Amino acid sequence: MATTTAAITLTSADLLTDALSLSATKTLHKAGSTVGLDQTTGMTKAYLTATTNVDIFPTLIEGSMAFAGKSSWVYICNESEDETEYVIITISGNVIGKLYGGDFLWMPWSQSEDGHGNNRHGDIELAPSVDTGMWFSWCCINEGTEYPTAV
Amino acid sequence: MATTTATIVLSSTDLLSDELALSTTATLTGAGNSTGLTGTTGLGRKKLASGHATYTLFDGDDYTADKAHKLYLKNTSIIADEYFEIIVNSEQIGRLYAGDWAFFPWMANASTNDIKIDPSDDSMILEYMLFTDE
Repeated sequence: MATTTAAITLTSADLLTDALSLSATKTLHKAGSTVGLDQTTGMTKAYLTATTNVDIFPTLIEGSMAFAGKSSWVYICNESEDETEYVIITISGNVIGKLYGGDFLWMPWSQSEDGHGNNRHGDIELAPSVDTGMWFSWCCINEGTEYPTAV
Repeated sequence: MATTTATIVLSSTDLLSDELALSTTATLTGAGNSTGLTGTTGLGRKKLASGHATYTLFDGDDYTADKAHKLYLKNTSIIADEYFEIIVNSEQIGRLYAGDWAFFPWMANASTNDIKIDPSDDSMILEYMLFTDE
């Protein structure tokens, strides 16, 4: 069992009249347990040169029994240094939000098994705002990986 | 304009044969600009009473669409199998188990683009803070 921790610190001296200094740390566990997550896609660094949606975890079958109800965590960072460049994050075509240059997200990902035949119901997709090239990094730390059967 | 920063640190010495030590800091700014976000709900706590009903935490109608809002959520439970399901735009995103936290952007891009929470058990407490781009 591995021990992986995710920590966040939110700080501001002037957002409120009182200083904001919020911290949270959590060891990443398998769903409903205290057993550490032991699988990961590793950190991907990608340079995307089109504005079309891309599936960033194509090897994970979202609706599979290895995935549904399991614990998976996703980190995505828009490494652009241009504040106007963003990426739209969607799950199953539903927009979550935009990451502008320098923004990151950390969120759980645990889709239920779905009736769609292709098991791609819960894909996490990115759509860059420009086709002139944007850098991203992302990774998934998870417990249930089921790879598609080769065709 | 305010300056608010979010820093994430992911670390592990035994997930891989090489150490994982990732640290990223973002200053929370408005959509397409470098102006710091000035709005927030403040840090709040919500006890979800009973019935395991889905609770609308933030209504898409209440916030300006297509902006760079950011949301922090934490499950304060210490019981390992208690979780909150996070739902955006009626789409199940994932589960926050005991002690888990999440931080992600929210566009509020449609009136249906609500943030909803579905607890697994009675009387669970969610901690949340929305940084708004208004």
